[in-house]
Amino acid sequence: MSGIYVHVPFCKQKCTYCDFASYPREIGKAESYFACLYREIEGRSKQYPGRVIDTIYVGGGTPSVVPAKFIAGAIRQIKKCFHVRETAEITIELNPGTVDAEKIKEYKSVGINRFSIGLQTGYDDQLKKLNRIHTAKDFLECCNLLKGENISADVLIGLAGQNLEQVKKTVDLALAGGVSHISVYALTPEVGTPIYTDYLNGELLSDDEVADIYDGIRTYLKEKGFDRYEVSNFAKSGYRSRHNQNYWQRGEYIGVGVSASSFMENRRFTNTFKIDEYINAVIYNKTPEISSEIIEDKDARFEFIMLALRTTDGLNVKEYEHLFKSNFKDEYKAQLSKKAQFLEFDGDTLKIKDEYLYVQNDIILSFMKE
Amino acid sequence: MSIKKENIRNFCIVAHIDHGKSTLADRLMEKTGQVSERDMEEQLLDSMDLERERGITIKLTPVRMFYKAKNGEEYIFNLIDTPGHVDFTYEVSRSLKACEGAILIVDATQGVQAQTLANAYLAIDNDLEIMPVINKIDLASARPDEIAQEVEDILGVEAMTAPRISAKTGLNVEDVLEKVITAIPAPKGDDNAPLKALIFDSYYDNFKGVICFVRIMDGTVKVGTKIRTFMSDKQFDVTEVGVFSPKMQPKDSLTAGEVGYIAASIKSIEDTAVGDTITTVENPAPEPLAGYKKALPMVFSGVFPLDGSKFNDLKDALLKLKLNDAALSIEPDNSAALGFGFRCGFLGLLHMDVIQERIEREFDLQIITTAPSVSYKVYKTDGTQMVIENPTHLPPVTEIDYMEEPIIKASILTPPDFVGPIMELCQYKRGVYKDMVYLDKRRVELKYDLPLNEIIYDFFDSLKSRTKGYASFDYEVSGYQKSDLVKLDMLLNGDVCDALSIIVHKDKAYERGRQIAEKLKDVIPRQMFEIPIQAAVGGKIIARETVKAFRKDVLAKCYGGDVTRKKKLLEKQKEGKKKMRSIGTVEIPSEAFISILKTDSDK
Repeated sequence: MSGIYVHVPFCKQKCTYCDFASYPREIGKAESYFACLYREIEGRSKQYPGRVIDTIYVGGGTPSVVPAKFIAGAIRQIKKCFHVRETAEITIELNPGTVDAEKIKEYKSVGINRFSIGLQTGYDDQLKKLNRIHTAKDFLECCNLLKGENISADVLIGLAGQNLEQVKKTVDLALAGGVSHISVYALTPEVGTPIYTDYLNGELLSDDEVADIYDGIRTYLKEKGFDRYEVSNFAKSGYRSRHNQNYWQRGEYIGVGVSASSFMENRRFTNTFKIDEYINAVIYNKTPEISSEIIEDKDARFEFIMLALRTTDGLNVKEYEHLFKSNFKDEYKAQLSKKAQFLEFDGDTLKIKDEYLYVQNDIILSFMKE
Repeated sequence: MSIKKENIRNFCIVAHIDHGKSTLADRLMEKTGQVSERDMEEQLLDSMDLERERGITIKLTPVRMFYKAKNGEEYIFNLIDTPGHVDFTYEVSRSLKACEGAILIVDATQGVQAQTLANAYLAIDNDLEIMPVINKIDLASARPDEIAQEVEDILGVEAMTAPRISAKTGLNVEDVLEKVITAIPAPKGDDNAPLKALIFDSYYDNFKGVICFVRIMDGTVKVGTKIRTFMSDKQFDVTEVGVFSPKMQPKDSLTAGEVGYIAASIKSIEDTAVGDTITTVENPAPEPLAGYKKALPMVFSGVFPLDGSKFNDLKDALLKLKLNDAALSIEPDNSAALGFGFRCGFLGLLHMDVIQERIEREFDLQIITTAPSVSYKVYKTDGTQMVIENPTHLPPVTEIDYMEEPIIKASILTPPDFVGPIMELCQYKRGVYKDMVYLDKRRVELKYDLPLNEIIYDFFDSLKSRTKGYASFDYEVSGYQKSDLVKLDMLLNGDVCDALSIIVHKDKAYERGRQIAEKLKDVIPRQMFEIPIQAAVGGKIIARETVKAFRKDVLAKCYGGDVTRKKKLLEKQKEGKKKMRSIGTVEIPSEAFISILKTDSDK
């Protein structure tokens, strides 16, 4: 499977927890940015010819803040330069308060068929504290515009003062909006973000409190017909995100735009995080990449395990053995025996037992070789 | 250049810590042209390299200086440096044996301190002339007259004519050089008598073999001389003799009164024990010089490699350190929890710290040190007696008739304000009050008998915190005393961890068990499962804490752009785990073993 990720580095205002490449004050550069983005798409298609694309994901930032024609242009360009399957999953991230019927119509016109809405929480005071631009009501209005579409919502846990009841209510709101997929992310305070200060002052929830909420909401989502298929992702049957599954299966992907990462032909590379640098590079036919690494065999093996064990489908032993020409059970004999109580084999798949998925680092670490 | 024996002076400098010993030594070298001011730093750097390459402490290197005195005569000064801490009394004493006199530095602001006393008495015991020097007179708070009076009052040494200097600025340092000539006697000894050379230090050189630092008491030694050691009774042919200036400088011979070195292709440092006497095969001295009071290790601790496969590296490191440190004792040890390692004996806690740090810094080895223990005498019901340095070796309670523990005589100098808190501390540490002497308005000397076992826990820290750092402390071991002792075991996840066992007084077992359990709970990170921590005496559980299983240990997000960064995060987490040791299924950070000492027990 192959995917393409398109990064839109613009938004109305930065959320307090955001450490992504997104620049509210540079939205005036959108036009030239997208012009360059189209050029990069073309360039990448020549660099990696003959690829069949199964999924496209437009993320940000807030892709919905820029005029819809820019987004539509990007999708058209991808379709022009690559072979995109008829059945491809094409997702766009939206924030309530930045979309209208016109925009959605234009998105759909180019084949966008999945909408990921940043809800985060159903409580307006919490939204305000996170510096989000929308309210719970805006979310429902946004969903209303998308009636009948494949919608996903992002929910944050671990906010200051948050409890399980509130997260359940947030999930209820998402369900009322008709979502078929929910991502539940534990708030990760990154250095340099405003929320990091809250973290330093001990205002965020403790790991144990977050784990309590996580366990509670996992049960709740299960009752509502949403199965966990990865650490933070829950979906109704048939609604898993194909794009993200490709990452966990260690499939190939091309990332275009500022800060986007690609993994092609065993090379992982990342574009510059600065819009001006990106535009300059593309205009002068230079690479916008700022880092690139060939993944060595040892790292490739570990990545395969680390990514696969995040999912409830687990690791396909046959696939591992085919890729790395080794006998999995022999190669990891010691690790498998040491961590046996946390793991389960189901035919040819190795999984972390359900109850240990949220404490998986320690298990995964044991598969890391010296 | 040949110099008359009457114009040689062999001396050392003793002082309380931070009273300016090294600074004065540097200044003396500078004034005698041994090192120019400009080269000073370079010189020190060289020494540091040497120290690293050879694993020796250059501080003990003697320095030979030429001094042209005001009377027109030329003199040779051999300055033999000494460590300043109470733990190294033994090292001090071996340096003293090679000297006729000692410069006693006293800080003009602080006056006589615990180690000033201890070192001065040690020098007096060794029949050395004491030459007081009042240092730091450049400081505004200097009280040179009062301090000189204090030295006379307390030590009974003439101090009114003592040079008053600032080693830092160089003020009056010539006075020290002049005073050495008159205050410190020239060495005696007969060049033609049978050779008696005292080994006061040694180190192993890869090319020349063992280099012995010697003071020639009688006789002459030159290249080709067939020599013999008394204690090890081995024979060698001298390949090189020389002096320190301060680098080794070969000479034709060394004669009575001189301080220098001898190399004789000696393969093993054990053959030339520090304190031994060298004589000649052809014309041997009838008996050796009086050696030193052999320093006995007082504090014992298990030393294990963090990485079990580095056992041989640790062994090499310890043997190398032992080459220059006769006071360090090493015995192979085996712990169920930590695998193969060594039981090491140290002079005291500082000595232990120094060795630990040198292993880690100079040999780049990560080690685990277990809680220190002292040596106990165990009298068994069958009438036999044994000495236990490792709590693990304690026989079952049923076989023990009674036990004895080492007792120290402690002397604490403190401003009068802190007498109360110190007495409280000593009482808590099972101390027995002996005496209290008002030295002057500002200082009181408190004397206590204390079990050594209580000192090796957090006594120093507690003393410091209770006296805002004003009190100083010195001790000597005075003997053994019957005591009601028990073995306190710690159980992790239900299993006894032998490396955490300690021997404590029965009355303190419950309290310490609880403290250690609490401390372990703090230092052991949460793991995949719940870990019960229990303290037990004789199979009876007396305290329990629990390290809860962790609930969240996961990367919240991992998409296309995150893989490399998340992988690095995991690598970092893995690095952290390398500092841990697996005891059964439980992972314990290496510092846990020593941290159980620091339990803030007097709170």
